[in-house]
Amino acid sequence: MLQTEEEYTRILRGRLEGTLPGEELNDIISDYSDHFRIGKSDGRSEEELYRSLGSPEDVAREIRATHLVKKAEDDKTCGNIFHAVLATLGLGLFNLVFVLVPFIILVLLLLVVFVVGILFTVLGPVALVYSLLQILGIPAFAIWQSPVAGVFFSIGITTLGLLFVIGDYYLARFFYHIGIRYLKWNIGVITGTERVA
Amino acid sequence: MSTDGRGPQKSACFPCHLRIGGMSAARILLWLAAITIVSFAIGFGLLALSGGFPPSPDQGFSPFRHTALLVPNTTSIPLDGASAGDLQITLGAGELSVQGGAPDAMLIETTVFSQSPVWQPDLVQIVNNSRKSVTITDKGHKGKALFAVDSPNSWEIRISDNVPVRLDVNVGGGDSQLNLGTLNLETISVHTGAGDTTIDLGGYRGGRFDAAIKNGVGDLTLRIPGSSNTRILVHQGIGDITADGFVQHEGTYVTPGFNSSLAVNEITLNQGVGSLSLEII
Repeated sequence: MLQTEEEYTRILRGRLEGTLPGEELNDIISDYSDHFRIGKSDGRSEEELYRSLGSPEDVAREIRATHLVKKAEDDKTCGNIFHAVLATLGLGLFNLVFVLVPFIILVLLLLVVFVVGILFTVLGPVALVYSLLQILGIPAFAIWQSPVAGVFFSIGITTLGLLFVIGDYYLARFFYHIGIRYLKWNIGVITGTERVA
Repeated sequence: MSTDGRGPQKSACFPCHLRIGGMSAARILLWLAAITIVSFAIGFGLLALSGGFPPSPDQGFSPFRHTALLVPNTTSIPLDGASAGDLQITLGAGELSVQGGAPDAMLIETTVFSQSPVWQPDLVQIVNNSRKSVTITDKGHKGKALFAVDSPNSWEIRISDNVPVRLDVNVGGGDSQLNLGTLNLETISVHTGAGDTTIDLGGYRGGRFDAAIKNGVGDLTLRIPGSSNTRILVHQGIGDITADGFVQHEGTYVTPGFNSSLAVNEITLNQGVGSLSLEII
């Protein structure tokens, strides 16, 4: 494989097309072309410049991960954070442990809180009906030690369920915010830039 | 490279700006939290006032009845023309409640709460002349051993108030509540291994009876009507004994106004380890 500027920018463009918008992609390719142009004017060969920039595949992965994390930060959607996590995983196999595992744990936690919230929200009114029927003296519905207390417990269960569901949303936003910061830190550590703008 | 382009903040915070009836999301959350706290506080307060809390904190507490989430299975056993009954109840582990109030023409009615139909006890009934014998035996759950600690197994047994019965109760482990005041008893035999036992004969109007009670480990409470002519011979192992209202003579306790020349209800009581409470009601 020839280690030329053309080959470098061709690989870079091929890896980033479809991820970055055309204008942004052209800017990046232009930056790397400038790097080659300035280097050549200093008397360095294309092969030397090629090696100094690092593998175009690795550079493309870093740019892609940085772009997708930034996109997830600007546009908070499940799809964007998912793509950002996947892109970050591509930076190193060890990120299966440092990114994928925490991501799965947080998603499961949010899911559990949501499901419990929905269950409480649905079962609360059912328990309330049981309380009222128990107060009316129907033995089949006698689930509470004290049916009057059961009325209040049912109301409490329902509102607790609603709190879980709504609280889950805010918890998701919090985790999203923390997750983005963590991904940026992770990319920064891997690429050696420490801080990704 | 430039990745500064800011996309639309389409999901920035929908609930933050959510308004229901003029209330913001934060206010709604505060109201929900307040309602939750107040509801549970009132619920627990009502339970405390109604005596729904367990006597000691180490016992499990739930606002639900312990049988609420179990599958009940009710069986009625008719008298079949008998004028008296012999009942033998053997429960390996679980909670037992025995009381009067079986439907007319029925000797007993059993409701077994358990998690599985295979845990239902064996029921054997035999009619011999004018007596009907019923044996209810816990089969012992081999599969249950895996869940032995928390496996719920609760029996509620209602006995006919109209015929004299001989009652034989054996419980290996678990609490037993025997409310026998409405029954007509000939003999009572209660043998419990471990667990608290309460035998309440309040309001008893039936005939004279003899009783033998053996309690292994656990507290035992025996309630006797003050108007009855009852003598209790106590063999107490380790534990306190209280017998307010009884007249005591060495290990024997008699009800006030006891007259040995009249028909006497004789109770022999062997208590192993645990407190013994004799109560006049």
